[in-house]
Amino acid sequence: MQTIVQAVAVRNEEAAAPTGRRDTFTQLVEPHLDALYGYCASLTDQAADADDLLQDTLLRGLRAHDDLRDKDRVRSWLFTIATNAWRDRHRARGRKLPTMSLDASTDDDDDFSLFNTLAVEDPFPYSDELHLDFLRLFRSADVHAVFRGMTPVHRPALILTTIHGFSCKEAAAILDVPLGTLLSRLHRGRKQLERGLWDYALRNRLVKVADDD
Amino acid sequence: MIDCREAVARMWTYLSRDLEAHDTMELEQHLRICQRCCGELEFSRELRKTLADAGEQPMPPQTRARVDELLRETETRGGV
Repeated sequence: MQTIVQAVAVRNEEAAAPTGRRDTFTQLVEPHLDALYGYCASLTDQAADADDLLQDTLLRGLRAHDDLRDKDRVRSWLFTIATNAWRDRHRARGRKLPTMSLDASTDDDDDFSLFNTLAVEDPFPYSDELHLDFLRLFRSADVHAVFRGMTPVHRPALILTTIHGFSCKEAAAILDVPLGTLLSRLHRGRKQLERGLWDYALRNRLVKVADDD
Repeated sequence: MIDCREAVARMWTYLSRDLEAHDTMELEQHLRICQRCCGELEFSRELRKTLADAGEQPMPPQTRARVDELLRETETRGGV
């Protein structure tokens, strides 16, 4: 299999790029690499997949960065490339991301409220900070395990807006969907996440409720 | 006046400062009279913070090394 470095070398020879172009690419991406890696890790299920997705993103960016007109938009440009690369990888594996049917459907998650569930189930009866105590149970690895349990199409909207600070309009542009679709995915993703956190806590015995064995 | 269900539905968009002005006004009106939704808003704020903290993952050294090699290679071959 061709290594990343070999691929870049071939690409550079083919492109016969003008002097300084590659330096510019490095300068452009360097400040965003950690965030970009975090995004790739949030979207994928395995560390190796996050690595591959990041490198695929950089190679695509390298090929396309002459098309980047506004250098101030490099961050959203990189996240857009990563999103497209992630989508393409799903397609290549024959696992097309479900979109319309899920956005249009309803399920139990839509009515689930973690806030209410905690108040009713009261897993920390002696706590004055019941809801905060619940959130304090979750380490980074636990949160990512819950992300992995979400429907793939709902993950990016949530991750872009809550973790990476993109506005809903920016996230819609990155995902190439209308704002209404983004808001719908964000809402459903949030509800799925709330349900996921509660189920994860029960499954891993992070909390114990009254009728629990 | 919006109900609790609608208020909850708007909260995350409100927290990311993406809610339209009229929708914001309706939500804030609701929050003035609904203690439960104030609690849920505060919980939403903390939950989003938990997610944001979890999202800050340092790049593993091996990944960093591969990326550095890739970028170095691009500079050597395509740069000066």
